Amino acid sequence: MKEKKYQGIQKAFVCFLFLLVLSACQAQNDTSETRTALLKTTNPSAVTTENKAEEEQLVAKIKQKVLSMKEIYDVAVIKGEKEILVAYKVRHLQRFHMKKIEKNLQEKLEKAYPDENFSVSSDYKIFLEAVRLQEKSEHGKVTRDEMEEQLGKIFKLSKEKT
Amino acid sequence: MLIGNQSWLFQNKPVIISTGVTGGPFEREGRLADDFDVLHEDLWMGEDSYEKAHRLLIEEAIQVALEKGSIQKNQIQFMILGDLINQITPSSFAARTIGIPYFGIFGACSTSMEGLALAAFILDKGGANNIVTGAASHNATAERQFRYPTEYGGQKPPTAQWTVTGAGFAIVSKQNNSNQNEPKVTTATIGKVVDMGLSDPFNMGGAMAPAAVDTIAAHFKDTGRDPSYYDLIVTGDLGKIGRATALDLFHQQGLNIMEDKFQDCGLMIYKEDQPIQAGASGPASSATVIYGHLIKQLKQGKYKKILCVATGALLSPMTVQQKESIPCIAHAVSIEI
Amino acid sequence: MAKKKKTAEQKEYAKIEQKHELKRPVLRNCIVAFLVGGTICMIGQAVTYFYIYFFNFTEQTASNPTVATMIFFSMLLTGFGIYDHLGQFSGAGSAVPVTGFGNSVISAAIEHRTEGFVLGVGANMFKLAGTVILFGVFSAFVVALIKTILVQWVGI
Repeated sequence: MKEKKYQGIQKAFVCFLFLLVLSACQAQNDTSETRTALLKTTNPSAVTTENKAEEEQLVAKIKQKVLSMKEIYDVAVIKGEKEILVAYKVRHLQRFHMKKIEKNLQEKLEKAYPDENFSVSSDYKIFLEAVRLQEKSEHGKVTRDEMEEQLGKIFKLSKEKT
Repeated sequence: MLIGNQSWLFQNKPVIISTGVTGGPFEREGRLADDFDVLHEDLWMGEDSYEKAHRLLIEEAIQVALEKGSIQKNQIQFMILGDLINQITPSSFAARTIGIPYFGIFGACSTSMEGLALAAFILDKGGANNIVTGAASHNATAERQFRYPTEYGGQKPPTAQWTVTGAGFAIVSKQNNSNQNEPKVTTATIGKVVDMGLSDPFNMGGAMAPAAVDTIAAHFKDTGRDPSYYDLIVTGDLGKIGRATALDLFHQQGLNIMEDKFQDCGLMIYKEDQPIQAGASGPASSATVIYGHLIKQLKQGKYKKILCVATGALLSPMTVQQKESIPCIAHAVSIEI
Repeated sequence: MAKKKKTAEQKEYAKIEQKHELKRPVLRNCIVAFLVGGTICMIGQAVTYFYIYFFNFTEQTASNPTVATMIFFSMLLTGFGIYDHLGQFSGAGSAVPVTGFGNSVISAAIEHRTEGFVLGVGANMFKLAGTVILFGVFSAFVVALIKTILVQWVGI
């Protein structure tokens, strides 16, 4: 009986190892920055799809504006052609007020920049994807069209419910 | 012969000529592993259901008893046995295989002594020459019927008890004077149902203690014996709580029973470090310990006179859910050498 | 089904019995349940992050595959006979997370395998978890009803 139990644990362990191997195969070529994006403050610089100075100034300003909210400690801003993605992380103990913070932020941004469309999200996944895209664009690996396409995918993802 | 209100004195002194005791994996690691005749390595015992394994335990125990007593099946007139499962099917199915005329009895965990008392009575009155009697239980079948599935991860309170997997059987025979060194059944006291209003199915020992005390007190009253008459008074499955409570009750009633002479099968069968909470339970608890361990010790001369009291909680899963309290019973049989 | 009044004798006995009854170690149980339950939830969180990193799941959508994975783990542990020991050790710690729910379904399924697939496994699989589902759905219905009434009529 005892040996049987022991075998059981061994089998479970093997299954666990198998899962580990499976997950290792999935590893992407992320930089260390992105890999820890969910755990640490990443502070990615704001980017736009257009390479214009005024646009860049605008997104930098938006970033400062978002960070001025004391509940938010990390934000990624990406400006697309029509919409601006604002993905942010909320301080842990403020996560209870998530809904309120999102509403406040949306209002604040729309008030300050009535001409722009904002899509705000506190979702880690959106933040992660934003950081990935920002890194790519920083290293100049993507063209403008590719970036727009990626951004479109992120918007779509952020609207998924279940 | 009836003595007092509820006791029998067996003047012809039927003898226990042989016993057969089987057990499962948990008993294998227990304290009394050496006293079992057959020990299985897993709960399935090579069968495809626990109920079949349960039946196998009974068949094997009877087979071993027959072999050890070097007696043939056709020399045995009756078999009296029971277990815990719904319509005592494991016993009846085993009786189908063995093919001896059969009394099926249900006394929950008191079945072993109920069977022995009845067997002794029939033999005493000349109703048979040899009778095989005993009881069995299987941990997984009892768990499934009375509690939760075996693999369910519920936490059992420290008052819960562990159902013994095993079967204990004895062949009882009319007195033959050839061998004096054989345990004889001398008296029996049939208990009445006692209900002290406890309704926690995870605390059977506490519920059964008053029944045991009632029967033991009645036994001394009927037989006119004193507790000091016995070397050992052993209960079936009171567990830690039931035993301590019973001692308290004896004290209250003025029965002078020494603590070291009052043992419990449920506390003898397993080691301290086995996860059994308050002790063992089940019909096999008393059957295996008495027929396996104690009969051996009687033959070795460690004890001369013992009083075996098997206690039973007469509940069903349905009565528990309907919030009924637990009625309990105890039967006492004295075995002397 | 009303509980019968206890007689004086029964009350007296209950007092004696209480003295010897082993108490549940509540504090120890709470601490162990907290630690084990927390560990299980931490593993769950790790699985969630796993799905967020490597698959296209957001925080909201990742909870579905996470629950499925945790139940899969508890299925393995139940089948190998480990989860019941864990349950005895940690009590609510392993019963409250979704793994406990999985365990209650799977253990019942294993238990009644001998009675066949339809009347055994099929009929008994949810005998423990069924109440959770029923009253879970019912209480969700009640809460939704209250919310709807408040929003529609009171206008909060």
